[in-house]
Amino acid sequence: MVRFSTYFQLLMLTAMLAFAGCMKWEYGLEEDFSAEGKGLFVINEGNFNYGNATLSYYNPTTKSVENEIFYRANAMKLGDVAQSMTIHDGKGWVVVNNSHVVFAIDLTTFREVGRIMNLTSPRYIHFVSDDKAYVTQLWDNRIFIINPKNYSVIGHIECPNMTMETGSTEQMVQYGDYLFVNCWSYQNRILKIDTRTDKIVAELELGIQPTSLALDKNGKLWSVTDGGFEGSPYGYEAPSLYRIDAESFTIEKEFRFSRGDAPSEVQLNGTRDRLYWINDDVWEMSVDADRLPVRPFLPYAETIYYGLTICPSTGDVYVADAIDYQQPGKIYRYTAQGEKIDEFYAGVIPGAFCWK
Amino acid sequence: MKRLLTIVFAILPLISIQAQEVENWLDKGLSIPEVAVLGERPMKQIGTQQTSFSESVLKESISLSMADVLTFNSSIFVKNYGRATLSTVSFRGTSPSHTQVTWNGMRMNSPMLGMTDFSMIPAYFIDEASLLHGTSSINDTGGGLGGSIRLATKPLQNKGFGLQYIQGIGSFRTFDEFLRLSYGTRKWQFSTRASYSSSPNDFKYRNRDKRENIYDEQMNIIGQYYPIERNRSGAFKDLNILQEISFNAGRGDRLSLSAWYVNSNRELAMLTTDYGDEGDFDNRQREHTLRSVLQWDHLRSNWKLAAKAGYLHSWTAYDYKRDPGNGTMEVMTRSRSLTDTFFGQAEGEYYVGNKWLFTANIAAHQHFVESRDKNIIRQDGNQAIVGYDQSRIELSAAISAKWRPTEKIGLSVVLREEMFGRDFSPIIPAFFAEYELSRRGNIVAKGSVSRNFRFPSLNDLYFLPGGNPDLRKESGWTYDAGVSFAIGKTKRYSLSGSATWFDSYVKDWILWLTTPKGFLSPRNIKDVHSYGIELKANTSIALARHWMIEGSATFSWTPSINEGEPLTPADKSVGKQLPYIPEYTATATGTLKWRRWALLYKWCYYSERYTMSSSDITLTGRLPKYYMSNLSLEKSIALRWADLSLKGTVNNLFDEEYVSVLSRPMPGINFEIFIGITPKWGKR
Repeated sequence: MVRFSTYFQLLMLTAMLAFAGCMKWEYGLEEDFSAEGKGLFVINEGNFNYGNATLSYYNPTTKSVENEIFYRANAMKLGDVAQSMTIHDGKGWVVVNNSHVVFAIDLTTFREVGRIMNLTSPRYIHFVSDDKAYVTQLWDNRIFIINPKNYSVIGHIECPNMTMETGSTEQMVQYGDYLFVNCWSYQNRILKIDTRTDKIVAELELGIQPTSLALDKNGKLWSVTDGGFEGSPYGYEAPSLYRIDAESFTIEKEFRFSRGDAPSEVQLNGTRDRLYWINDDVWEMSVDADRLPVRPFLPYAETIYYGLTICPSTGDVYVADAIDYQQPGKIYRYTAQGEKIDEFYAGVIPGAFCWK
Repeated sequence: MKRLLTIVFAILPLISIQAQEVENWLDKGLSIPEVAVLGERPMKQIGTQQTSFSESVLKESISLSMADVLTFNSSIFVKNYGRATLSTVSFRGTSPSHTQVTWNGMRMNSPMLGMTDFSMIPAYFIDEASLLHGTSSINDTGGGLGGSIRLATKPLQNKGFGLQYIQGIGSFRTFDEFLRLSYGTRKWQFSTRASYSSSPNDFKYRNRDKRENIYDEQMNIIGQYYPIERNRSGAFKDLNILQEISFNAGRGDRLSLSAWYVNSNRELAMLTTDYGDEGDFDNRQREHTLRSVLQWDHLRSNWKLAAKAGYLHSWTAYDYKRDPGNGTMEVMTRSRSLTDTFFGQAEGEYYVGNKWLFTANIAAHQHFVESRDKNIIRQDGNQAIVGYDQSRIELSAAISAKWRPTEKIGLSVVLREEMFGRDFSPIIPAFFAEYELSRRGNIVAKGSVSRNFRFPSLNDLYFLPGGNPDLRKESGWTYDAGVSFAIGKTKRYSLSGSATWFDSYVKDWILWLTTPKGFLSPRNIKDVHSYGIELKANTSIALARHWMIEGSATFSWTPSINEGEPLTPADKSVGKQLPYIPEYTATATGTLKWRRWALLYKWCYYSERYTMSSSDITLTGRLPKYYMSNLSLEKSIALRWADLSLKGTVNNLFDEEYVSVLSRPMPGINFEIFIGITPKWGKR
């Protein structure tokens, strides 16, 4: 019976040791940042439904990077699927898609200064003026009109031939009083909005699923389609790069890719005379070119290029590798001539950039 | 509460002193609870690593799902997305789709997803549950690269009418109700079980992932705080009905029918990082499922034949809606899926003397699946649906020979062959051996090795967009070795335990990755090496007159390492632990019984889980280790006309703040009381 006692007491001791352990959490620690001068924000999407989006900040001069700056500065998470960031009025506006929020942050301290809520599934924000901004949406047939002064939704623009379920408006560029928006998911259009009346005044059909939009020095819009996917009832075709005259809102030139290609991330350099995009490799061409280049700017090197940006002042090219989408992605920095000059890890799925 | 518990458990060791007096009381013929002594080793289980759950564990509470049972009573990892939300399980560092689950022989894994949601299985509807670890799963089914879980119902052996009703009322306006009606004769048994659980599930928690702002009149932020929020959009209503009819013709022939209907309506809780207004959105999943199995068993002294036929019909709906401001919820996403499965199985066993056992079985599942994921408007203006409509036949056949040349030695070989669609697996061999090291302590050494394959699910192959019809099946080798023992003394104590080492290699692991077009697509990416140790122990001790203590504990150490090639030159995941797989897990339960009182304490531990394949630990992606404790006290009352039971349960006893999955809130301390009644019609 002594054995019983010893055994039993050991059992109880183990149980009591178990009580001693508690979960340890660290909260509320706000870090002070002072990021003066120029820099690059990297918007890391994070995994859908895991709320692990982050913001990184890279100093091109010192070649140093700070990751998770939003969390570190604000002691809270950025949210679920950070989609894009725009700078206006000395603030950075970070659109967090599946958190239904746009955060405004101070560009030096990264502290939150305000937030826009009551959104459906925000994708991009564009500022028409200090008093008015547009926010595009996925799964909503409306573009939200915002008053950035008080972070409130003040109206909507109804998009034609879209339901809530098929709604998809994406990137925006402004030409004079008109704003152009590409419609992506199961869509094939670019919409033209009169910013004075907040009305859609025209639309232009492209190929299947235009993914991005840019405006060059000549007043030409550039958009690239992804062509859909095999088996899609919406269609599956070879993607194209389009040059569109913003003034007349007509297609000037269509550059065709091969079926199965997946071009994306159309970007311009600072002088808006050279165009870049990703299609396995990274490609570059003059905005005045009549044909697609035959050699890539950066050939595919077993790297899954996901995000792309060009430094507006130096022309350096930054390209993001999302790797397996479950670990911090890597950013590679090249000169305008294609020479690699730096690389650094950011957050999970670095998908977008924003220059300060 | 923590202090009270500490006092209780500090006092408990003193009670063991009384155990020394048990012998005297026994000599005096006083009644104490009986303790069974383990020791039998069935031929069918030669060399297997198996964990079986007692009925008291399965029937501990009507509010428990099988996910809850597995969390506190096994070494396998339960990934819990929230209360009454998706819960998946994985053995030994594998993925949820590497765990095969059967109910009365019919596969429960979704043919679309490949995995099983254990939060949808009420434990009160399961009479027998066993885990077959690693290689042992080959005895039952293929595809269990981690293992398999065998769930079954069992006919009652009652005569006359029976009724059991239990009502549970808990925190967050949770109501659980369970009713069982039964009628039995010498040959017939009828049983109807029904349960209904509902709750707004709006528990409060401190949201550490977001902060609320305090503004001045110019909309400047002048203060921030972590809000105490309610779990938003987490309500659930689950109805389960299980009908069983069994006919025992005598002389070893039995025919039985089990039909289980599930009607579930669950909201999907908003993330902790969601700034949307709960009233603006409706995010909901509904399911209507009917599973039925007709079974015939024909038993003779040295052989057995059995045949099963089953049918499954499952309708699931996912709706994500938003009020655009006009008071009506408009659809943002509308997904529907319909699954019809026809199942057939035949098996036979033949004993040659008491040294040989030969078995054979063949099972077929014919799936018809229709997946409608999204409604779109085509370029020509007509409506269309994005989805797929596929069918697949899945055949699995096995033969085995089990040999026990002496009482000490047992050897077993299993050969299995599988066919999914037109794709055959190579022959899947499994070898098992055991050797009795000591008869006195029932110490048995076991070892096994097997190959295994898992075919891609229908979503892996056909989902739009992204399905990849060129996927290869996953393949693996698993090695097991271990030792088990069982000692005890009838009516006094029992103690059993086992230690198992395992080593497993999985090639062509399927992973869904984002494509350049923005959607996910599965690819054969990883080679994974998982290995480790599983320990488990069970004990029962009659401490003194009317006093009894039961305990069980498990521990597992499961490194699960990515040994594939780097995806890109920057890939840091090679050589690292797979995300969301804890390296260490442990559980413990203890029950102290006195007369008609029972005090149950349950505890589990998960070590920190990485959320990144590179094993980086970040501020945003951190899942710290956690310990969870539940306590319940039950009193049963025997009246002349009925048995009554009263039970109080405290979940998350120490009110821990924890998450199992990133951004999914979990409840703090919460309570539930249960009242049960079982009339003694004609049985007084």
